[in-house]
Amino acid sequence: MSSSVMEARLLEKEGDEEVYEVFIGPQHPASGHMRLIVRLEGDVIVGVDPDIGWVHRTMEKLAESKEALKAIPLLERMTIIDSQNVTIGYVRALEKLLGVEPPPRARYLRTLLSEINRIASHLYGMGLAGIFVNHSTMFMWCFGDREVWIQLAEELTGARLTHSYSVPGGVRRDLPQGFKEKALKAIRYMEKRLDEYHRIFFDNPQVRARYEGVGVLKPHEARRLGVVGPNLRASGVRYDARLLGDYGVYDELEFEIPVREEGDAMSRLLLRGDEIRQSMNIIRQVLDKIPEGPILAEKYLRLIPPKLREPALKEGRIKFPGIFANLKLPKGEAVARAEMGHGEIFYHVTSDGSKKPYRVRVVTPSFRNVILFRYLPPGHRFMDLPAIYGSLDYFPPEADR
Amino acid sequence: MFRGKVRRHVEAIATGLKYLVKPNRITVYYPEEAIVLSERYRGMIHYDWDKCISCGLCAMICPADAMKMYRKKGEKKARPGINYQRCIFCGYCVDICPTNALSFTRVHDVAFEKLDEMLYPPEKFTSEWRSPAEERGARRLRVVFDEERGLKHVPEQ
Repeated sequence: MSSSVMEARLLEKEGDEEVYEVFIGPQHPASGHMRLIVRLEGDVIVGVDPDIGWVHRTMEKLAESKEALKAIPLLERMTIIDSQNVTIGYVRALEKLLGVEPPPRARYLRTLLSEINRIASHLYGMGLAGIFVNHSTMFMWCFGDREVWIQLAEELTGARLTHSYSVPGGVRRDLPQGFKEKALKAIRYMEKRLDEYHRIFFDNPQVRARYEGVGVLKPHEARRLGVVGPNLRASGVRYDARLLGDYGVYDELEFEIPVREEGDAMSRLLLRGDEIRQSMNIIRQVLDKIPEGPILAEKYLRLIPPKLREPALKEGRIKFPGIFANLKLPKGEAVARAEMGHGEIFYHVTSDGSKKPYRVRVVTPSFRNVILFRYLPPGHRFMDLPAIYGSLDYFPPEADR
Repeated sequence: MFRGKVRRHVEAIATGLKYLVKPNRITVYYPEEAIVLSERYRGMIHYDWDKCISCGLCAMICPADAMKMYRKKGEKKARPGINYQRCIFCGYCVDICPTNALSFTRVHDVAFEKLDEMLYPPEKFTSEWRSPAEERGARRLRVVFDEERGLKHVPEQ
């Protein structure tokens, strides 16, 4: 860490009596359970220490103590607002260990829910970015419109947030009747609303004054610090785990990865709006192109007795084969990465051949982005801190795991 | 520059005013009104005594250890019971049940007075679920997607 770039941003000097320390949190300062130790010289921030770990729940250790399938509902609780994207990486890693591939229809359905979740997650982040600068209208609107996408997810999966939708080999539910019409209505509604978001929030001069030119992250710094997700792409770096083609059907669809060059708080916010548009574009294509076929891999489907399987399939759901209760993981290691609303999530699952994984390593996007709290605010006024915090879409339970 | 700013200020206020006159309310006045949950909603779980073959798969797959097998003295068959203090409504037990003895209900707005009441041994597990709001005659509302308003809640026919 001896780079001149970073030293230039750390203005704090030891033993400086002019410096005030301000503790923000760990009660809920607006977005989560974390503490920022802010050092101020007058009204100017000279240093910020993100003090994380208040919602640490030993997720990785708990995952070692459970049979492989049982960790899905557990890991979902890291980022409850984005539960499909947070678990798809784990499911992919299990699939690689088990040597099973999901059928095409299941891959389309996973992509569908991933994008619905991404929109809901971005709306959540944008709403909080609004309330951080006291724009409570934006907060209410985003959370209200998020309900539309949660309703869609509920009709697909049966749960509002904790979907537990993907399992090794496929998904648990097929498209319900009339889902396409509902989704298209939601998309058309959201497109109109995004224009209104621009009028009341993004183009609002009061909001621009707070967000524009604040917390600029340069591309080379973003790369050095290992930042991921919209925060990285708003700094002009085109990287997205969806491009790797490891999961979902992103290689079969036409969509853009929005990139912005400015790297300031405003561009990070605007980028989330761009991504919502692209996600809706993906959902449209998925609903048009989705092929017929099974939603669970043949390997598991044939283990379900036909008497049980056929009526369930007619209802658009699958039954689990009995083997799911104690799925034996072959010895080996597997890695998988997926793009969440907050950025890239990485899983490394090690198995010693038993039913429980020997080790589950999770690197979450918020954990990688939390470093920005240290490097972005110094040099800014204290009231720029909420703007920077809001623009990062940081989710403490995800970083702490 | 200055003109553009004024125009955008006015636009922001006008957009807000539009919703002041014609608000887009999504709040439902529970318990006078209650939303009918979607068809595949994973609510409270119902247990069918006669269909159960005591295989124990539900207790084995439960990620939260909410489901347990209970065996009475002198009886051969063990039967599942559920602890709603622990249940996370993932629905794994229902999906793995080989005889469809377990099924979802579309009831989720249940309240318990005591913690002990959340424990459902096999005999109690068979009880039927009813929404307390609907029992008191709440109007049932259906969720409809709408291009203009996002979600609308319309009375069920």
